[in-house]
Amino acid sequence: MKRIFTWLLKLDRRWIFLFVLFSVATPIVFPIGLPVTTTDSTRRAFEYLESLKPGDTIWLSFDYGPSSAPENDPMAEAVMRQCFLKHVKVVVLALYPLGGLGLANTAVAKVTAEFPGLRYGEDYVNLGYKDGAAAVMRRLGEDIAGAFPTDVNGTPLSRIPMMRGVHDIRNVKLVFTAATGVIGEWWITQVHSQIGTPVVIGPTAVSAPKYYAYLNAGQLVGMLSGMKGAAEYERLLRDTYPQMARFYKSTRTFTATKGMDGQTVIHTVMIAFIILGNLAFLVTRETGRPEAAA
Amino acid sequence: MIQDALGIWIAALLTLAALSFLYKDNPFFRFAESLFAGVSLGYYVGIVLNQTLEPNLFEPMRQDFGQNWDLLVPGLLGVMLYVRYVPKIAWVSRYALSIYVTYYIGVEFTRRIHGEVLPQIGRAMLPLSRFDLPTLYSAVFVVGVFSVLIYFFFSREQNAVTRPIARLGVWFLMISFGAAFGFTVMGRVALLIGRLNFLLQAWLYPLFGITS
Repeated sequence: MKRIFTWLLKLDRRWIFLFVLFSVATPIVFPIGLPVTTTDSTRRAFEYLESLKPGDTIWLSFDYGPSSAPENDPMAEAVMRQCFLKHVKVVVLALYPLGGLGLANTAVAKVTAEFPGLRYGEDYVNLGYKDGAAAVMRRLGEDIAGAFPTDVNGTPLSRIPMMRGVHDIRNVKLVFTAATGVIGEWWITQVHSQIGTPVVIGPTAVSAPKYYAYLNAGQLVGMLSGMKGAAEYERLLRDTYPQMARFYKSTRTFTATKGMDGQTVIHTVMIAFIILGNLAFLVTRETGRPEAAA
Repeated sequence: MIQDALGIWIAALLTLAALSFLYKDNPFFRFAESLFAGVSLGYYVGIVLNQTLEPNLFEPMRQDFGQNWDLLVPGLLGVMLYVRYVPKIAWVSRYALSIYVTYYIGVEFTRRIHGEVLPQIGRAMLPLSRFDLPTLYSAVFVVGVFSVLIYFFFSREQNAVTRPIARLGVWFLMISFGAAFGFTVMGRVALLIGRLNFLLQAWLYPLFGITS
C-alpha cells in the first residue's frame, strides 16, 4: 500500500491535468443528465419574474465578457425566455466594455429566433453599449434617454413604442444583471439602494460569495450563483413551462444543465484526489515526503 | 460561412495554444498570450474612442460648440493626465488626478454608506427579544465581524482576553476563504467546460461530420 501511495505522490502532475480534461470532456460527449436541485435564492428570483404581468418591463444588463460567458450566457438566455413566455417586455443593454455588447447581440438574436411572434421595439429593445457604468446608472435614475439617446441601431428612444412609458429606471419592474466584476455591485448599491428598483443578480461563481451579504440584507430579490444558479433557473423554467424542454434537449446547444454534469464529475474527482492525497501524505509521513516530480 | 469557419478554426487553435501551457511553457502559448493582451488593449482603445470620446466629447462640440464649450474642461483634464510623461511639467497631471480622485470619493462615499454599510448593519441588528432563525444568523454575523476585527487589530499586543476572540476570528476567516475557494473552483471549471464544449461541438464535430 505504501508503495502505491509513494508512487502517487511522485506522479507527474500533468497526468492529473489529463485526467481532469477527460473527466470534463466525457460528460460533454456523453451527457449524463444528472438531476439539478434548486436553492432558495434562485427560486426567489424565478418567482419574482413569474409574478410580473404581461406588458411589464424588465431591464436585462449584460455586464460580462467572453471570459465568463459559459456561466453568464445561460442565465441571461433563460431570463429572456421566461420574459417572452410571459409577454414581459425586455430592455437589453451592455455595460461591460470587453465584449458585453457582442454577447448581448448574440443572445438576443438566438432567443428571439425561438419566439417568431416577437416584434423589435414592442416586445424587446436593444439599447447597446455605454461606457462608464456608474455614471450611466446615475443618469438612468433621471432619464433613460439621457444615457441612451438611441438604441443599438441608432433609432431615437422616442420612436420606439415600448420605451414611451419608460422614462427612467423607476418605470421598470426589475433589473437583472448577468455580471462579472464590480458592475453588478453598482446595480445594487446605486440603483437599488438609491432609486429603489428591485435587482436580481447572476454573478460568476467567483464573485458569488460577496453577493450573499447583499442577499441576506434584503438588497437583492434573488441570485443565480454561477453555472449552478443558471442550471437551477433552467430547471425551474422547464418545470413551469414544459414546452421549454425542447430548447434544452438539443445536445448541440450549450446549457448550464449540461455543464453541471461535468461539474459534478470533476468535483467528485477532485474530492477523491484530496482524500487520496491526504491518505498518501499520512501513510508516507513516517518515511518522509518523496521528492516532488518536475 | 467561410468567415464563420475561419473564426472557429482560429479560436480553436488559440484555445489549444493556451491550454498547451499545462504541458509546459512553449512558443505557441506565448504567442496566444501576447496576442490576447494586444487584441484586448486594442479593442479597449477602440471602445473608448468610439463609445466615450466620440459621442460624449467630439460629437457634441462639433455639432454645437456654443452650447457644449464646457466639455473642454473634462477634455483638458483628460489630456493633463498624460502630461506626467513630460518630466518638466509632470506636476500638472496631479491637478487632474486630484479632481478625479475627489469626484470618485464623493460618488463612492454615498454608494458605500447608503448601498452597503447602513442596509447591512440595519439588517444585522435584529431585536433579541424574539429568538428565531434570522436572529440566530444575525448573532453569528455579529460575533464573526467582531472577532475578525479583533484579529486584525494590530495596535496592541493580544492578551488573555483578546487572544481567544482573535482565534475565533481566524475560524470565521478560514470558513469564508473555504467558501470563496469552492466557488472559485466551480467558476474555473465552468470556463473549462465552456472551452471544451466549444472545441467539441463547434470545431471537432463538424470537422468529422459528427451529428449530435
